[in-house]
Amino acid sequence: MIPFRIRITAALLIAALVPLVAFGALLVITGRADSDGSIFRILLTAFVIAALLGVGIAFVVAGSLTAPLRALATALDRIAAGDTSTPLPALADDELGRLAERQNQLAADLLRRNRQVARVVDAVGTYSPREGADRLVDLAIADARAAFGLIDARIVLGDPSAIPAEERVPGDPLPVRADLRAGAEPLGVLVGRASATARWDRADQDLLELFAAVVGVGLRNAELFARVADQNERLRELDAAKDDFLRGVSHNLQTPLARIRAYADQLAGEQAVAGEPDRRLGIIAEQSDRLSRMVRQLLTVSRLDSGVLRPVPEVFAPAGLVRRAWEALGASGVPFTLDDRSGGWLALADPDQVDQVIWGLLDNAVKYGGGAPITVTVALVPGDGGTAGGGGTGGGTLRLRVEDAGPGIAEADRGRLFERYARGTLPGAEGTGLGLYVSRELARANGGDLVLDTVEPGPGSQPPADEAGSRGASAATGAAFTLTLPAESPTEG
Amino acid sequence: MLIPGGPGGRERPARLLLVDDDSNLLVVLAEQLRADGYDVATARDGVEARRRLENAWPDLVLLDMMMPRLDGISLAREIKARADLPIIVLTAIDAADSKAELLDEVAEDYVTKPYHYPELRARINRVLRRLGDRLPGQRIELGPGLALELGRRAATVNGTEVSLTPTESRLLYALAANLGQTVSTETLLARGWADTEGADPSYVWVTMRRLRQKIEPDANRPRHLVTVRGIGYRLEADPT
Repeated sequence: MIPFRIRITAALLIAALVPLVAFGALLVITGRADSDGSIFRILLTAFVIAALLGVGIAFVVAGSLTAPLRALATALDRIAAGDTSTPLPALADDELGRLAERQNQLAADLLRRNRQVARVVDAVGTYSPREGADRLVDLAIADARAAFGLIDARIVLGDPSAIPAEERVPGDPLPVRADLRAGAEPLGVLVGRASATARWDRADQDLLELFAAVVGVGLRNAELFARVADQNERLRELDAAKDDFLRGVSHNLQTPLARIRAYADQLAGEQAVAGEPDRRLGIIAEQSDRLSRMVRQLLTVSRLDSGVLRPVPEVFAPAGLVRRAWEALGASGVPFTLDDRSGGWLALADPDQVDQVIWGLLDNAVKYGGGAPITVTVALVPGDGGTAGGGGTGGGTLRLRVEDAGPGIAEADRGRLFERYARGTLPGAEGTGLGLYVSRELARANGGDLVLDTVEPGPGSQPPADEAGSRGASAATGAAFTLTLPAESPTEG
Repeated sequence: MLIPGGPGGRERPARLLLVDDDSNLLVVLAEQLRADGYDVATARDGVEARRRLENAWPDLVLLDMMMPRLDGISLAREIKARADLPIIVLTAIDAADSKAELLDEVAEDYVTKPYHYPELRARINRVLRRLGDRLPGQRIELGPGLALELGRRAATVNGTEVSLTPTESRLLYALAANLGQTVSTETLLARGWADTEGADPSYVWVTMRRLRQKIEPDANRPRHLVTVRGIGYRLEADPT
């Protein structure tokens, strides 16, 4: 590519020399040239002088033309790179001068819009749906005025087409407007007035519409947030009401149960003194206990839901707890074995809550085991020496495995056993369907867990019965649950 | 149960005030307690209980939480505002959540209805056993890094408040009442686990170890909860 300056120089040179050459050619053709060639010499001299002068003048003229163009190009490069701070020097009042002036104005506009965009982006960053729609409207009005240099601005909520556009009156402040939308849904309109002398170009309008769109989304978010917050509040109230209700129900159920229990105890005491104990009184006590536990289970679910179940951890020997729970169950007809291999280690958990879990597991084993023997094994899994206890004093885990030799749990039931309101597909399954759910949550709240274990078929175990019962449909016989609890070593220190 | 304080330095039956709006339960429980040698007064509601308290001050109050006229918690607050009279709360609500707060605020212990009478009796006796103990003050400063506030079941360790479980604070109560003296493991076991069948000294050991982790400013160099090997434990204050 030949530089612009060289091209102009060449053009001027050609313009100067072509007439001379044409003149020489004309002389030759017309035969006016004399024989001694003096005319050609004169022509040649003129040609050389014209060429030299032409080159010189053309070079200077081309230089004066290209210098401002080069400056303009440099300035454009700077603006393209984001620097709008240095205006072009004022040039003569010709086309190039006007070009430079227009260029300076362009740079100033660019700078102004950059600032507007920055303000808009800044403003949008501060809109939090938490603050509510009214606050957002106030903020947006202030931001619109500051960013777009408006004399006044307001936001009118409602259908934008119902809000008439203002006519522009020359000399009066310039009305501007942009619709607020969230997606396709119209929310309102942002109207304002720019000063009569202000420039309001297509780009300004585009930016205002962009701003209005962002405000629209912000308003929608604030509205949704308020709705969700409102719903949350209502849910909290409902939850509190439910808790109150459950407390009341619990009180009304437990009070007569307490009375039944107290009379049964008193009668049993009298009969024991008289030496003729009645087993039926024991059943009354057990059944009132069972009812009372069911009521308590409902309350526990409510506590779990509202996240206020707070275990008070104490130390206790789980084997003792298991034995007492078994006695409370009153299932003396079912063979029961307790194998304590805890080595004296103590569980560290809320004894009341663990009692709920163990009682529930034993109750299930009796209910679904069909009178088959029940075995509870308490085993120790030593920890890494200092997790629960800290300071190197032995923390570990106790595993309580409750196993029955009944028909087992159907494959179909295994997956959803711990779900809320899950009940076995076994015909005649009773209960609330909350037992295992509550038990697992209680175990976890106490730093342990409750899982369904696999049962190794023992040498004497029978293949599952072929009857319709879903527990019978399982390949394994028997069901086993393992409850783990944090434990501490029983050493003096 | 007999406690010190009878005429001529002899022991006398412990006086209980039983407050419950369920009259059937009140009669049955009062009979059971009398049969076990307690001196029992009864009240059907908070107002009646207040009247009885005007006349005689019992050793312990057994209080139902939900009662007409004046509810249990208000009465308990009234009582506690006047004297450090031990209160056992009876409630039909298994308030796993409010348990801690109830205990912290007004009650030494908490029994859920329907209660098992032997357990209730064991808890009454455990609280009564504590009656002889007198703490040096509401807030016991044991050193620059440790202060106990057993009334609130709390300790302040290096400026941070630590909450104590009911059992932990019962053990500390017994130790703080005998500050600087060794309290035997058996005594601590009786204070902490009177109602727990099969409790043995390891319960005390483990709880003490955990307590040390909780309240010693430096658990590796215990200064306040001192083990007296083979005998028991001692609570010590820093020498001033």
